[in-house]
Amino acid sequence: MKDMEVTVIENREVIKDHFLLKAKVKGRIPAFRPGQFVMVKIQGPQVFLRRPFTAYECEKDTISILYKVKGVGTRVLSKMKRGEKTFILGPCGRGFSITERELYVVIAGGIGVAGVNLLIKSLKKNVWIFFGTSSSSNLSLLGNLTNYDLFISTLDGTYGKKGDVISLFREKIDDLKNKDVEIFACGPKEMYKSLKDALLKYRLPCQVLYEERMACGMGLCFGCVVETLDPKDPIKRVCYEGPVFSLWELSL
Amino acid sequence: MGTFPLELFGKKLRNPVMNASGTLGYGKEIERLWKISTLGAFVTKGLSVFPHKGNPQPRILDLGFGMLNSIGLQNFGIKRFLEEYTEFFIRRKTPVILNIFGFTEDEYVECGRLIGENPAVLALEANLSCPNVKQGGIIFGKDPKIVGRIVRGLKSVTKIPVLVKLSSEVTDIVEIAYAAYEAGADGLTLINTLPGMWKERDTLVRGGISGPFLKFLALKAIYDCKRSLPIPIVGAGGIMNVKDAILFLEAGCSAIQVGTATFLDPLAIPKIVKGLKAYFKRGQKW
Ligand SMILES: Cc1cc2nc3c(=O)[nH]c(=O)nc-3n(C[C@H](O)[C@H](O)[C@H](O)COP(=O)(O)OP(=O)(O)OC[C@H]3O[C@@H](n4cnc5c(N)ncnc54)[C@H](O)[C@@H]3O)c2cc1C
Ligand SMILES: Cc1cc2nc3c(=O)[nH]c(=O)nc-3n(C[C@H](O)[C@H](O)[C@H](O)COP(=O)(O)O)c2cc1C
Ligand code: FES
Repeated sequence: MKDMEVTVIENREVIKDHFLLKAKVKGRIPAFRPGQFVMVKIQGPQVFLRRPFTAYECEKDTISILYKVKGVGTRVLSKMKRGEKTFILGPCGRGFSITERELYVVIAGGIGVAGVNLLIKSLKKNVWIFFGTSSSSNLSLLGNLTNYDLFISTLDGTYGKKGDVISLFREKIDDLKNKDVEIFACGPKEMYKSLKDALLKYRLPCQVLYEERMACGMGLCFGCVVETLDPKDPIKRVCYEGPVFSLWELSL
Repeated sequence: MGTFPLELFGKKLRNPVMNASGTLGYGKEIERLWKISTLGAFVTKGLSVFPHKGNPQPRILDLGFGMLNSIGLQNFGIKRFLEEYTEFFIRRKTPVILNIFGFTEDEYVECGRLIGENPAVLALEANLSCPNVKQGGIIFGKDPKIVGRIVRGLKSVTKIPVLVKLSSEVTDIVEIAYAAYEAGADGLTLINTLPGMWKERDTLVRGGISGPFLKFLALKAIYDCKRSLPIPIVGAGGIMNVKDAILFLEAGCSAIQVGTATFLDPLAIPKIVKGLKAYFKRGQKW
């Protein structure tokens, strides 16, 4: 883990309110596992704490994040220009653990696609991607993930199946029951709740990237905790014991 | 004014820089960035007799100029800390200050009793900013009589020096600090967060406000207490960099604690230690 001084080389609006920020690191960046994240220092008068974002792409000396403008911090971040400098702390947290499987299923809700991009790239083959978003105008968030087996839903029905991504996933669930499969998901809490309902039937292995508001991002403040079913230490820090948890371990 | 090395309660410390309670976890987490032995002493997050689960989410609010936290003193209990961490701090040759709290006066005293003799522990820091559940939630640290009773209780069960940590949200902090001193407190930690509140998803969330602005409140509390009492003061509240640290030492603090600054810059503490070393080497010239 390092606190790296970075220079913005690109901060481009991909679709409305969604940005891709690329930053150059002095020297080499440490290796990131899929699902690990960074704490970005955002320089602005109304922003005090750093903000967490999953590493979207990593190369020798550049790191990218794909983010959605949610509030004051991300709004200020979206105004950063090429050449501006800031600090990012990473790699933070534990990422996804990947074991050899016959099939991988990745489910992403909206900006959740940012959390699984590195993962999908490292899985390479036998990946089904379920992507749910509000409208067809958001499809470019998929970037070059279009080379994979894609199942898409939109809330407004302008592309793919109309409805949410878990309803779409439910339609395929019986195809998975006899397969050696692992499921990965990234999206809002409500999505994990309905995913859990959907999976109760077969209890397939499933890892989810869980989000909670953070101050330190490295296990110091106990601000980002989530309740789990672990009998010894039920309360876990998302930034330290997570952000990836087994869906079956969380008490959703 | 603090020096290198520093003597506190008859023990030599490497330097006068500590972390503020609750801002460096249980002590092992930060070692991915720097060694805990960078510190003069490590201060634990608040520990209690029984494990405590803390508050539900949301626990953090960014105020733009500081933060509001509602961690609710989550901790796994003082016994478990002593069992699992004593060895680690001894190996690192880093003395520990145990920040303790209770929901009743007896629970504070019980914390003192549980420690026994522990070679790693430099002092106890009694956080008196918790609500007294038996008396309907008033803050212990607001009543000089209660403060006196807790300190006397602790002093009767342990030989380990007792620091009393106070909030400046009282009418007269000197009155409270004096009660602690009279009861035998060995030092003061000034100051804790200030209580605040916000509303989210229809829930009211109470918490403590910390950050750079606290510096001005802390300095006043420190100055007032320093003038009236002959015991060492450990300064905390809004220290963000070496300049702030020097200001606190100049105000009469024996040592200083860095809290929220670590969240903005995880290297704030090693930078302050380095800066202070250089400052003392130059003969205390800034
Ligand atoms: C491990 C992790 C990885 C993340 N990765 C990404 C990513 O790759 N791309 C991306 O766009 N976002 C990601 N997020 C979410 C991102 O951190 C928040 O959207 C961001 O912090 C909001 O900051 P803000 O100042 O704009 O919002 P604020 O003004 O602080 O709040 C605005 C709204 O955003 C919500 N919010 C605040 N913090 C978080 C949070 N940590 N998670 C979810 N909602 C939050 C608040 O509840 C509020 O409703 C991640 C979060 C975590 C914990
Ligand atoms: C996340 C967080 C947790 C804290 N937990 C404790 C605690 O357990 N016990 C305590 O006495 N003070 C606690 N504090 C208060 C700090 O120790 C310190 O007194 C206060 O934050 C002011 O210093 P700062 O402005 O440098 O952070 C906590 C503060 C923060 C931000
Ligand atoms: S953000 Fe501080 S412990 Fe997770």
